[in-house]
Amino acid sequence: MGALYCLMSMGINFIYGIMKVINWSMGEFFMIGAFIQYILLTSFLGSRLWFVGIVLSAIAVLILGALVQKILIKPMFVGIIEAKMEYATIVTISLSIFLRNLAVVIGGPYIYTPKDYAEPTQIFTLPLSGNRLVAFIGALVLLAGFYYFIKKTWTGKAFQGVAQNRTGIQTAGVNVLKYDMLAFGIGTAMAGAAGALLAPVFLVYPQCGMMPTVRGFEIIVIAGLGSIPGTLVAGLALGLVESLGSAFISPSFVDIYGFILLVVILLFKPYGLFGKTERTV
Amino acid sequence: MKPSHLKIASIAALVLMIVLLPHLISDYWIYVITIAFFYTIMAASWNLLGGYTGQFSLAHHTFAMLGAYGSSLLMVKAGFPFFLSIPTVILLTILVSAVLGILCLRVQGLYLALITWAFAEVARNYIRLDYMFTGGDRGMNTPLLFGTLKPLPYYFLFLIIAVFCIALIALVMKSRVGFYLRSIRDDPIAAQSMGVNIVRYKIIAFMLSSGMASMAGAFYGHSIGLISPIMGDFNEMAMIIIFVVIGGMRTQTGPIVGALSVRYLMELLREYAEIRIVILSAIVILVMRFYSGGLMQLWEQLRRWFERDADGPVSAYESSDQ
Repeated sequence: MGALYCLMSMGINFIYGIMKVINWSMGEFFMIGAFIQYILLTSFLGSRLWFVGIVLSAIAVLILGALVQKILIKPMFVGIIEAKMEYATIVTISLSIFLRNLAVVIGGPYIYTPKDYAEPTQIFTLPLSGNRLVAFIGALVLLAGFYYFIKKTWTGKAFQGVAQNRTGIQTAGVNVLKYDMLAFGIGTAMAGAAGALLAPVFLVYPQCGMMPTVRGFEIIVIAGLGSIPGTLVAGLALGLVESLGSAFISPSFVDIYGFILLVVILLFKPYGLFGKTERTV
Repeated sequence: MKPSHLKIASIAALVLMIVLLPHLISDYWIYVITIAFFYTIMAASWNLLGGYTGQFSLAHHTFAMLGAYGSSLLMVKAGFPFFLSIPTVILLTILVSAVLGILCLRVQGLYLALITWAFAEVARNYIRLDYMFTGGDRGMNTPLLFGTLKPLPYYFLFLIIAVFCIALIALVMKSRVGFYLRSIRDDPIAAQSMGVNIVRYKIIAFMLSSGMASMAGAFYGHSIGLISPIMGDFNEMAMIIIFVVIGGMRTQTGPIVGALSVRYLMELLREYAEIRIVILSAIVILVMRFYSGGLMQLWEQLRRWFERDADGPVSAYESSDQ
């Protein structure tokens, strides 16, 4: 499961790194990804072509995210809005409420179950649900692709530049506003892909993005805002703590173990495991 | 009539109206107004933290839920009386918020929002899942404060608490601490260099606002008779933000006006369950985007416009004279 949480928090962290904005409606993009996947599978593609569905729903969420950025987040940087952080927080929270309740209005408060992606399998003697295995491998592939994109391509390098210094990269001829839009799209598309991958595991309903987002935020806080390798470590640690906790203590309080881990880490490292200390006066 | 007389007369009329109102309307509407008072307290105390101090707590509704559950559990399981259980639970919540505040307010930025959000979901899931202790999704019967479900005594109870909380907030904002809080929002670095211990005052604001939420929640639990994890649903938090933003952030009266008017609107649109929230959140986005002052800004502009229109330069002269 750790790898999937990574996908979620990587999206949040990427957007934060580029625009210094936390997208609170990540869970709703996760939910939209799951819904698009479900609709594609039941009415257009058939459940055998699930991998095509994942790509299509990720692209759809990417376009949606980019549009949202253009309409709602961009004014922050063009200079109309006074209190930027406040604006971004409230707008994305309202957006999340808006999308979630819109999903209830359109789809009803029902739980939809897509067909399984794969049969249950066994690795050596360990019985494993095929869906989870597919989701895990899919997440790894996406993370690897994202890593390649950031490190090797020209666009990825431009993103690194934007994250380091917005003004500096503009002098090098990069259109920051365009890259913001793309970054927001890619970040939300990661959530959408996670939603589509996890559709048969977590099922599809309007609130289904809630717990993955909570985990995503926990991972980010544990890792430290803006740290990409930290996200990987923290994601795996969180997955580990949760499975150990549910194996040894009680499986019904899975959510609490992660939170305790977070509290303990914050006690000793207020900026997270890999977070950089902000310079103060 | 001189303006000061006018002011006293209008306040007296307002008090008279609030006291007489429950005798003129049906029990149902008294109940609706009581709930609106509850949300007024929540919105006003969130405005203290989110509006004035600029620190976003996304667990405000959770503190109310913890207040309600904590007080009822203390009474049912430990046999506490009302006058002990409510203060105990308020102190406990303040302690919890102090721990959370110390954890995440040392660091700048959005850590408080991130962690309180996670805390809210974790607390709600705990209450849902530990059904042997809290009753889970079925909810929990709470002892009633006045032994009756008739809404009239609760109306006055919440009226008193709301007035108390709003007066307390007004007092805090007028005091030295209030200026510290505003300075933290406007420019933390400048505030720090002027000698304000920003971490301490952020934590104090967080404790104060969570304590009020928990107090409101505890009384709320004892007045409706049945509490459930729905109180911890994120939509509740969204409602608080909606009230504050639509009413007008960083104003004393904004959250009050926002909570009362939006609750009234929601009551009128009762049949359209989720659509209400869709519309309201869309309004919040629009308000933030184009008109960040909310209803209070609208009121202020209308007032100026009418004053200018009524008797031209004379009124301008009078108002500059005051």
